[in-house]
Amino acid sequence: MKIDKAVIAQTPESSPKSSLLREKGLMKGFIDHYSETRGKTIIYSSALLMIIAVVAITLFLTVQGLRSFFVDHINFWSFITGTKWSLDQTNGASYGAFPFIFGSLSVTLLAAVFATPVAVGCALFMAEIAKKWGQRVLQPIIEILVGIPSVVYGLIGLSVIVPFMRVHFGGSGFNLLAGSLVVGIMILPTVASIAADSLRAVPDSLREASFAIGGTKWQTIWRVVIPAAGSSIVTAIILGMSRAFGEALAVQMVIGNTFQMPHSIFAPAATLTTVITGSMGDTTTGSVSNDVLWSLGLILLVISYIFILIIRMLAKRRNA
Amino acid sequence: MMIQLDTNIANFTNDKGEETPVQIEVKDVNIFYGSNHAVKDVNMPIHEKSITALIGPSGCGKSTFIRTINRMNDLIPIARCEGNILYRDNNILNPKIDVVQLRKEIGMVFQQPNPFPKSISENIQLPLKFAGMRNKKILKETTENCLKEVGLWDEVKDRLDHSATGLSGGQQQRLCIARALALKPSVILLDEPTSALDPVSTSKIEELLLRLKKDYTIVIVTHNMQQAARIADYTAFFYQGELVEFGLTRNLFTHPEKKSTADYISGRFG
Repeated sequence: MKIDKAVIAQTPESSPKSSLLREKGLMKGFIDHYSETRGKTIIYSSALLMIIAVVAITLFLTVQGLRSFFVDHINFWSFITGTKWSLDQTNGASYGAFPFIFGSLSVTLLAAVFATPVAVGCALFMAEIAKKWGQRVLQPIIEILVGIPSVVYGLIGLSVIVPFMRVHFGGSGFNLLAGSLVVGIMILPTVASIAADSLRAVPDSLREASFAIGGTKWQTIWRVVIPAAGSSIVTAIILGMSRAFGEALAVQMVIGNTFQMPHSIFAPAATLTTVITGSMGDTTTGSVSNDVLWSLGLILLVISYIFILIIRMLAKRRNA
Repeated sequence: MMIQLDTNIANFTNDKGEETPVQIEVKDVNIFYGSNHAVKDVNMPIHEKSITALIGPSGCGKSTFIRTINRMNDLIPIARCEGNILYRDNNILNPKIDVVQLRKEIGMVFQQPNPFPKSISENIQLPLKFAGMRNKKILKETTENCLKEVGLWDEVKDRLDHSATGLSGGQQQRLCIARALALKPSVILLDEPTSALDPVSTSKIEELLLRLKKDYTIVIVTHNMQQAARIADYTAFFYQGELVEFGLTRNLFTHPEKKSTADYISGRFG
């Protein structure tokens, strides 16, 4: 009997192959999915929350934005092509949003035109010319610039660009060009930092190949590295543009905010976002004035989606 | 230009019994990566219109050495070279040498096929465009000639404007060789060109190199001793940064003078 007991004590209870985890009770069997389930629940519910938020915002904006056309019976076509805008209900209101659509698109495009050459140049300097210094010093500085609140850019525009415009081009100094410049400066660090990342993603083997066939540094950058990073750089620019398109505050501070169609880049103008932020507080929920502002929001959303679609398409083509 | 050697190496002949003059003379070359002495006191000739193979175990300095011949090591900031590599009356290692011109005469092919993500014809035309060639007719002719030279023409002639990245690994590597030929260099350096390829592609490249040596001087780094034995006229065995033995391939493989050479080629280490 004594001998038997000793033998039993030496042998682990369950099986001769019993592992440490089984002995310590940390693993009960192979059908214990508890930990997996917990992780899955957390991850799936966050993903679900995200999707619900996006769908809810889109739906809400769509429902609210379509009220002006279906409840207030404003003609959709005259809404997006009309050039006269007035929310003054007593003296005959008019809802022509074209000046704002035009304003938004031209601010975005001009901002991209100003920002792209500087941003790509900066990215090339960081990623190709001064690699170490660019990565250690310039990249963090640019990331700080990305984080500066847009109101600061607006303030700088207000105190530097607007007076400059007033002195050199006349008028009040508040105009389309000032808005584009402020937004251009604002998106510059975003574009530069993404473009630098995409240049760094170009494999060194391509640079080696180019040098090995007698390419100079400049030829290598211009004919090999930039084309190889091509669509990623375009994506960086479009991301910057979508940021410019959605910017309200900085633009509002310098663009002049008139409801008229601008006739030159030196004329004051307004954008979809500036009209919404400028007028929303003066309207009551459910009124026509309120509904048309929601419609402007819907247009913003649709155009933002188009930007995102373009980015996705470029990414797809790049991976193909 | 020929450099007369005072060693008996110059009297070696290639497999056909023809004497080939020395084209590049390597004298007392030392290469450092930071404080690491990667290549030590290498002296060897590279004969014109022949294949010279550099063999040895990993980390023996053979790749470092071949990358010095067209100054690709300049791209590595911590690399430093000493000594002389004489080519056409010039010391390649002279800091005043225009490396861009040098690389137009001494081309290079790498371990991983690295075609540009452009069209097949653009891949071959880019070196010419880099050199300032604008004549469309010459660009087109060169494309065809180079592709024919590497035996790729029949495979790709209908899709010259397709992206080169769509080709198979072996085709890509032959395209890279064609690209290196576009400028009609006198020397082609190949750094383990077949180690990323399957056996069929490898044998195609070997046949190609045997054809090319009629017109070009070829230096090839290889891990594969059989490959060196099959194609090389001269073989250099590197071990721990030193050139242990250099000679005609048939002599080196049949009667190695040094014990470590014998050990390596018989597969005892490496």
